[in-house]
Formats: sequence, structure tokens, C-alpha cells
Amino acid sequence: MAHSAPASADIDLEPLRAILNEHFNPENYQDSLELIVQACQEAQHIYGYVPKAATELIAEHLGVTTNRIYGLLTFYADFLTAPPGKHTMLLCHGAACYVGGSQKIVNYLDQQYDVDSGHTTRDGTLTVQYVNGCLGVCDLAPVAQLDHGPYYGHLTVESFEELLESLRNDDGSSEDSDETE
Amino acid sequence: MKLSSQQDFQAYAADARKNWDERFGGSRWIISVGVSECSKAKGVQDTLSNLELHLDNSGLDYEIRHVGCAGWCFAEPYIEVSPPDGPPIIYGNVVTDVVPELVQAFKNGQFPTENALGVRSESAFEGIQPLSEHPFMKGQRRLLMERSGVIDPESIEEYIARGGYSAFVRALTEMTPEEIVHEVKESNVRGRGGAGFPAGIKWESGRRTQAWPKYVVANSHEGEPNVFKDRRLIESDPHLVLEGIMIACVALETPHGYNYIGGEHVLALSRFQKAVDQAYELGLLGENVLGTGKSFHMRVRSGGGAYICGEGSALMYAIMGERGQPRTKPPRSVEEGVWRRPTVLNNTETYAAVPSIINNGGAWYADIGTDESKGTKLVTIQGPVKRIGVAEVEMGFSMRELIEEIYGGAKDGYTLKGIQMGGVSAGPLRMDQLDVGIDFESLDEVGAMLGSGGFVAFDESICAVDFARYLTRFNRYESCAKCTPCRLGNKALLEIVDKVRHGQSPADVAALIQGTSDNIIDLSLCGLGQVAPMPLLGMMKAFPEEFEAHFREGRCPQGQCTVSQPHIRLEPVAAD
Ligand SMILES: Cc1cc2nc3c(=O)[nH]c(=O)nc-3n(C[C@H](O)[C@H](O)[C@H](O)COP(=O)(O)O)c2cc1C
Ligand code: SF4
Ligand code: FES
Repeated sequence: MAHSAPASADIDLEPLRAILNEHFNPENYQDSLELIVQACQEAQHIYGYVPKAATELIAEHLGVTTNRIYGLLTFYADFLTAPPGKHTMLLCHGAACYVGGSQKIVNYLDQQYDVDSGHTTRDGTLTVQYVNGCLGVCDLAPVAQLDHGPYYGHLTVESFEELLESLRNDDGSSEDSDETE
Repeated sequence: MKLSSQQDFQAYAADARKNWDERFGGSRWIISVGVSECSKAKGVQDTLSNLELHLDNSGLDYEIRHVGCAGWCFAEPYIEVSPPDGPPIIYGNVVTDVVPELVQAFKNGQFPTENALGVRSESAFEGIQPLSEHPFMKGQRRLLMERSGVIDPESIEEYIARGGYSAFVRALTEMTPEEIVHEVKESNVRGRGGAGFPAGIKWESGRRTQAWPKYVVANSHEGEPNVFKDRRLIESDPHLVLEGIMIACVALETPHGYNYIGGEHVLALSRFQKAVDQAYELGLLGENVLGTGKSFHMRVRSGGGAYICGEGSALMYAIMGERGQPRTKPPRSVEEGVWRRPTVLNNTETYAAVPSIINNGGAWYADIGTDESKGTKLVTIQGPVKRIGVAEVEMGFSMRELIEEIYGGAKDGYTLKGIQMGGVSAGPLRMDQLDVGIDFESLDEVGAMLGSGGFVAFDESICAVDFARYLTRFNRYESCAKCTPCRLGNKALLEIVDKVRHGQSPADVAALIQGTSDNIIDLSLCGLGQVAPMPLLGMMKAFPEEFEAHFREGRCPQGQCTVSQPHIRLEPVAAD
């Protein structure tokens, strides 16, 4: 990955600690092992990625090694181990989306931005994750979900380009429409 | 409230039914709104707030309730309007703009026919046809989806009001574990996760293995690119799946149930977890359930973005906090599964069939479907057809009717070329091959595969070679890399296809593809590698002329491959 190692020092671990204390109370080592992935999902939910400091906290809380945690983080495509860009996008590359032309958007990202799944555009606007499965909203194919919120359906390279442009220009306030055609 | 006996449950169920009847028989307008992943994507939140606004202003006495998805993704967002005196009417595509007029009409006692999908009644009403006459519904037979879109998926009371958990309670209090297994065996329900192994036989083996504790696991991973039925079922009727798993726990005499749900299926995850919480609150899960002295527990686990975790042994490693990589068999999972203990693993849909089998008997179920494929099958369609959605059809239903009637055939402006069957594990059917039954044996016979029931319609603009490349790339990317034939073989296969796409076919390329494929198929460790080349081989078989044009003439008839677009750079093979 193109990212440099994240600075863990300025991560506020309290929210994660609170969740771990409340919901992650393994009775034995087996339980601990079963809970690692979910604990990492909580961390990613809070921080947008799984910072090193979070893995250390999880390791300590569950009594497992950070080594094992990284083994899992690098196995599952959904986890990010470096901070994402300003926005994250799940770009569906399931079969409905392929038939609708998602390959063209994948190619476009590669050619214009040198971005592959899990990468961030150089200006830091967008981290894209390709969904190899199906996002489950094939009626909108090809479709992308932005920041785990609004969906953008019936994408073409042109509408995708416009979307990127608006993300680059916007200051964080979200769209009023949840679908561009 | 905690129920502590069978009588308690019966009393609760009677109350729930009474509440339901009173609610729908009252003087209020009940507006049910489908809230699922697909309707959320299509703006149902806006529809909801606009509905509330206009209904408030209308002065009608109303109640808005949430239900799940009834399978008609093409009609989302949808609402079901139950007027105080009149049958419930379903309206589709109720985007915010439609709301004001609809509400105004209701206020005037009118029921527009525009956007109406149908009315839940035997006969037409105000010019609106019965729902069962709608082309999307006409050929369907709904056992598993009976309550989808009818009940609030986040209400255990509504599930019980519509007959839910009666099968579990019956299995728990009136049947021996042997009797449960007997019914499931007699039903001959076969696994819905792809391989079609008879569930009853699996359960029996699980009982026979003498090691404890035992585990019952549901596979709701659904990481394939071509299907979305399991999550939709969980989103719409999570208790049905939960009840099925719980009955398996009774049959296996174990308190340990699991559901492994793909981490991407956010709404399915939260609704299933909620269902579990509610079952605990009501005392259907927990210690000493209904005073029987037996305990039942349910754990929800998930991963994220690794297709291979749907494979049985990989899924079990994933639960155990290991990387989800398959192992060789034997031992089979009924001998050594989760925590190296006997484990019964079935697909979501398989479990969902169990409550009705217990309620109506295995023989009843065995009467539905074909000789070798019993019951109904959830199927989904993707691609340019008129009606995208989840349908439930009796096994043996005609593939052509499914595509042309239920799903409405090609969207305007498209001509269909074929249907990719069995996702990333088999080849396609051409449009002239669709006269085949949707069941395990008929599809096997024609070299396609029922798989999980996710069909992909593709049109004339799609190049068979490029589509094959897409499917090969999926398997190459999702290979867990544990064994060499799959890890390197699929990479090699992808490179060959890419050469073909660039007009650089090596000599004797067809034989090269076949030989490479044979090695991958024969030597791979698990089901991913063993079928990975099938989509490519299937595409070659179905569309030989197209492959030949690439092989011999360096020409892509569809103009889709790089060979006909020299200005486009080769997509990096090694990077994916
Ligand atoms: C690569 C691969 C992925 C699989 N993914 C799934 C899946 O997502 N869901 C599923 O139920 N079965 C999946 N299976 C099949 C399972 O291994 C297993 O056969 C199935 O869950 C058993 O349940 P059933 O007998 O009810 O079908 C997959 C198999 C392979 C080889
Ligand atoms: S066949 Fe592929 S997915 Fe299966 S174990 Fe081997 S490398 Fe992993
Ligand atoms: S394939 Fe993209 S949403 Fe289903």
C-alpha cells in the first residue's frame, strides 16, 4: 500500500475501550479468538480504519497477540490498516454491476488515478474499495455506496467523474440527493 | 416478558394473533413501508418522512409500520396501504414525488391504479388486479417468503402472530430429536448453499458422531458476486432463519448455535442480532427454555470481504479467529468442525425451510418440487431485465418462464444473449437453452448449475471472452492462496485470457486453456479451485464462434476487448 505508517499517538482509544468493556467479555480463550474480527470491525467503525494502537488495545483486552490480529486484518479485504481519505467508497464489482459496466469505472480509476482497491487518490479525497461480492442493490447497477451512507446508482464513467469532482470540491456537507443518474 | 412453559407460549401466541387481528381490523389506515437494503438505497427514508408529513396533514387516522422486502426490488420503495374497509393495496416506486397525490387520493377514498402492483385479495378492487395476478408473482410459490414484506422483521410478536416459533416449540416439547431428523430426512430437503447435499442425512451424521459439545452453524456469508437472496430473507424475516437453526439445535441436542453473516450485509447483521436479542428476552433462547431444562444459545459472527469464508471448513476457521482457509477432507465437518467438534453446517435458506417441514411434515414437503429436488428455491436475477428481485419458485419451474414472465425479459433497448448460471462455478445457458427446469438434476444435466440460485442475465453487448475473464479474475482474486494449483493455476489462466483479449493468443490456445483448467480442477484442494475454470470453459462451449474470432482473427465481435480498442491500456493482471 502507498500509505505511510499512521501515527497512533493521537488516537483516542476511549470509545473503543468503552465498547470492548461493555460487549467483549470472553469467558475463555476460545471466546477471545472468536471475538477478534468483531472487535476490529468496531475499531474500523470508530476510526475509519484499524489503527495500530487499536490492535494493541484489542490484543490486550482479549489476551491475544497483535500478530494474530494482523494476520486477520490482512486476510479480509474489508479492513483498512491506514487512514482512509476524506471519503470512502464501496464500488460494487458484482456481476450485475459488471454487466452494467463497472469494469469501465475500475479501468478509469486505474488509468486516471492509478488507484486500485483499497487505495486512496493522491489528493486524499477518496479511498475506494471494490466489492467483489454484490452490494445487494442490483437494481441500481453499477452502484457505489459513499461513506456507508448514500448510494449512487446507474454509474457511468462520466457520472462517476462528476461525483469525484463534487467530492473534491465539497467541504464535508453531504449531498441532498442520494442518487445520480 | 419471559415465557416459561409451552402453555405460556400458546397464550402469548394467541394474544399476538388477537393484537394482529384487532390492529388490521380496526378503523385505522395502516401504511406498511418496506425498509430493506434495496429500498434504503432507493430513498425510502425520504418516502417515510414525506408520508408522515402528508398523512398528518390529511387528518386520516393512520399508523406507519415497517416491513421487510417482498422481493420486488424493481418496485422499491413500496408501500402497502390497508384502508379501514377494503383490502390491502401495494404501491411500487413510491418516491417522494408520488406521495402527495397518493395521500390526497386516499383521503378522497380513491385508489389510483397507477403504480399499484396489486391488491391482497382474490378479486380485483377498484380496477387493481389481485397481487397474485401480477406477472412477478403469478408463477411464484412462496413458502419461505410467506411473511417477507408482511411482518415487521424487528418484531418477534408479529412473527409469532403469523405462526412463528410454533415449529420450534413443537420440536422442543412434542418431538424426540430422532423424530425431527426423520421428518427432515423424509422431506429430502437438499442444501441450498450450492452442493445440494441432503440436510437430513447431514443432521443424522452429526447426531451419530460421539463427541461433545456439538455445534449448529448457519452459513449466511453470501460472498458470491451473483446473488443476494440470503441477506434479503434475513432482512425480511430473520426469526424464520433463527427458528430453523434452533430446531437443528434441538435435533442435535446441543445448546450451541451460530450464524456466520457476511460483514458487508449490514442490515441483515443488525436485524438478525436483534432477532436473537428478542428471542432471549422472550425466553426462547437462554437457559431452561420453556421449562424443558434445555438451553439454547445463538452467536452471530461475521467476517468481511473474503469469498472463501463461505466454504465450510474455511468458515469454521474464520469463526475460530483463524484466517479462513479451507482444509482437506476428511474429516468432514460433521466429525470435526468448529473447535474440532461435530458441526452441522447449512445454508440460511436450508434452515429457513425447516420450520414448515416440522409444521406440515416431511411428506408434505417432499410432495413439492421434482423427484430429486424438493421444495421451493429462492432465486435472484441480475442484469438488464425488466424486474430485478428475489423470487421463490417451486423446484422444476421453467427457466424460460422465470426469465421471461417473472423477471419480464429484457429491459427495453436490450437483447439478451444468455444467462450465467451458478455464478462463479459454472457456465452459462444461451437464450435458446432456457427450456430447462430450475432444479439440481435438470441443470446438472445441461452442464449448468443451480448453485445458490443467483442468475445473471447478460445482453448482446457483453463479450463472452470478457465476461469469462471477469469470472476467472474473481476466482483468481478470491483464491485463498493455500494450494499451488489454484493460486498459480488461476493466475496463469487469467494471463492466457488476457492475451486472448489483446489479440496475442498463443498457439493452440484452446488446448492450453483446457489443459491448464484440467490441472486446476483435478489438483486444487477445495471447491473454489475445483470449479474455478468452469465459467471460462462454459463460456467457450456456449459461444465458440466468439472465442474463435478472438483466437484466430484477433477480433472482438462485441468491440469490448482491448484487441479492438488499441488506445486502452492493458489492465494490470498482477495487481488484482
Ligand atoms: C468457495 C466456496 C464458497 C462458498 N460460499 C458459500 C456461501 O456463501 N454460502 C453457503 O451457504 N454456502 C457456501 N458454500 C458451500 C458450503 O461449503 C457448504 O456446502 C454449505 O454451506 C452447506 O450448506 P447446505 O448443505 O445447506 O448447502 C461455498 C463453497 C465454496 C467452495
Ligand atoms: S483451491 Fe484455492 S481457495 Fe481452495 S484451498 Fe486451494 S488456494 Fe485456497
Ligand atoms: S452486483 Fe453490484 S449491487 Fe449487486
